[in-house]
Amino acid sequence: MNAAWPATACVPEHDPVRHGGRRALGFLADLSQALAVSLDLRTTLEPALARILDFMQAEAASLFLLDETTNLLECRVCVGPVDIVGLKVAAGQGVVGRAVAQNAPQRIDDARNDARVNTRVDAETGFVTRAILCVPLATAQGPLGAIEIINRRDGGAFDEDAAEILRLIAAPMALAINNARLAAKLAEQQRIRREMALARSIQKSLLPRRRRGRFPLIGVNLPAHEISGDFYDYFELPDQRIAFFIGDISGKGLDAAFLMVRVASLLRFSGKDASTPAAWLSEVNRELCNTLQHGRFVCAVVGIYDRGTRCATLASAGFPPALRDDGIRFEELPADGPPLGILAEAEYGERQVDLADAALYLFSDGATDVREGARDRLGSDGLRGLIRRHAALAPEPRLRALIGELKRRKLVDDTTLLLLQEPRGSQVRELLALRFPAAPIRMRAVRAALRTALDAEDVAPELRDRLVLAVDEACTNIIRHAYRHQLGEDTCDETDSIALRVTRERDRLGFELRDEAPCVDAARIKPRDPSECRIGGLGLAFIDATMDAWYIEGLPGGCGNRLIMHKQLKAKTESDE
Amino acid sequence: MNENTCVSEVCGDYVLVRLSGEVDLSWSQQVRRAILDALGDGGRVGVDLSQVGYIDSSGIAALVEGLQNARSHNRKFVLVAVSDAAMAVLRLARLDRVFSIFSDLDAARSA
Repeated sequence: MNAAWPATACVPEHDPVRHGGRRALGFLADLSQALAVSLDLRTTLEPALARILDFMQAEAASLFLLDETTNLLECRVCVGPVDIVGLKVAAGQGVVGRAVAQNAPQRIDDARNDARVNTRVDAETGFVTRAILCVPLATAQGPLGAIEIINRRDGGAFDEDAAEILRLIAAPMALAINNARLAAKLAEQQRIRREMALARSIQKSLLPRRRRGRFPLIGVNLPAHEISGDFYDYFELPDQRIAFFIGDISGKGLDAAFLMVRVASLLRFSGKDASTPAAWLSEVNRELCNTLQHGRFVCAVVGIYDRGTRCATLASAGFPPALRDDGIRFEELPADGPPLGILAEAEYGERQVDLADAALYLFSDGATDVREGARDRLGSDGLRGLIRRHAALAPEPRLRALIGELKRRKLVDDTTLLLLQEPRGSQVRELLALRFPAAPIRMRAVRAALRTALDAEDVAPELRDRLVLAVDEACTNIIRHAYRHQLGEDTCDETDSIALRVTRERDRLGFELRDEAPCVDAARIKPRDPSECRIGGLGLAFIDATMDAWYIEGLPGGCGNRLIMHKQLKAKTESDE
Repeated sequence: MNENTCVSEVCGDYVLVRLSGEVDLSWSQQVRRAILDALGDGGRVGVDLSQVGYIDSSGIAALVEGLQNARSHNRKFVLVAVSDAAMAVLRLARLDRVFSIFSDLDAARSA
């Protein structure tokens, strides 16, 4: 019975297993082609198995696939008198299990007297298994399953040649299954990506459109992944005031994203006729307490802004402190109550924020959680530094610059920024822009130019003289301490220069001095107590006594300093004098 | 505006240092020197500020140093005919009550 394979041309025609290499190769080619017709295993595997059954002249054939998570083999396709689709065996058990576990063909010549054979199916069905041949569906990553054929139709046993041929046949089957699985995985990934993109676009559609013209609110939402648990919105109330909110859903992922959609709608709906921000938060809080799943909560700020008075009223439910920036100082506005959805009876305070000459920054904790290095959080101070760095920009480019800075670092959470500021644009007028060598001898001309510029603005002479003194003192401090020029030195390096820019925004004068000296330690620059009768620090005391606010900062790169001083022209000057 | 000048002259029992112009960092060292030199003569010293259109902290510092020097040697040191501009800075520095300020040397003598 055992013939060498490939068989010679004189093998009997009626026995295909022995019919020879040419027939076997032809069959393999046909089988491979049939398997390649479709990636749908449901349509390709069963006809392929039927062909194998005929080719091998067997009574029954079945294909088992391994589930790697359970390590169980399940019959997925079978042909023959008994339907065993769905039958499961553990890898290592029975003939099929052993073929997979050992990744080697198994041949049983006398199944009825072989302990390796599981006789349960025979016992249940009356089928008599005599001979078994089983080969693994081998791949480079290990077997995917096994093909088993049962009983030669002529009653004999399967021989080594048959085993070898079945092993050859198993190869294109394994390949086809592998391909189909990869294709399915890819399709699944594409489907998920499409759905995520769709979810993202739905979320985005809920964010307000950027308004054209001189609208005081702009926001940006940066999801850490495709979808976001953050949100913001703004809309006009019937009385022309502008309502706005920003929020952050606890947790991440799809459920947070769905909840975001709901909470944003609820906040918008309630905001339309809420009397005050505090009442607005309370109403949404009660609703969320009734319906939120346990353990979920929402941090949010709601506010109403009046463009006439340039005043905003805010109420915060556990949201990170808002920052009010007047260009000199940041004021932190902490939360007025717990996050939404925790305590139904929670009460929220509210606060008035004067934004006539200030900007309000609202940001989810993602903005301060961005990582600078491997571990360092940017933090509130870091974010303030970034705001300062871009303070000279108009609101929209400034927000873009901030987002650019955050993106350059590592985003670890959804990040949302909302900026409330009346657009300035043409309201800022430049009164004077000078660049001059950092030499004391030049200061007389600078003072004269500054006096002229301030006179043109009708600044009262007493105040004018004090402002000139303050700017002069600032310049001589730069000359003496930043550039370290010695007293009495008349010459100076012409490349050491100071740039002075004086601006007016409504009734606020701004004085900006830039130099190119090494960065000074801003923390060490403190005015002395004016009542102290000593010489040093007097100039700084003059600045401090004259200006409403001032600050100095080193420019990025370790070279150059920027001193900003502000003076409000009305009201304050009188109480000062 | 006046030229920056610093002239010392003897007026009876006083050496009077007349300042004019804008006293700033570019020449306040000269002013300081002139005041200390006047004090070095051993008599009373007055500084005339009537023609001072501007004075900065380095100019004030020169005056303060003169005052401290005079006190340590128990000599009289006065400011006379202080211009409005200079007075405003002295007030700002809260030095208007620290210095002895008179309308002229005669007023200083009779005080």
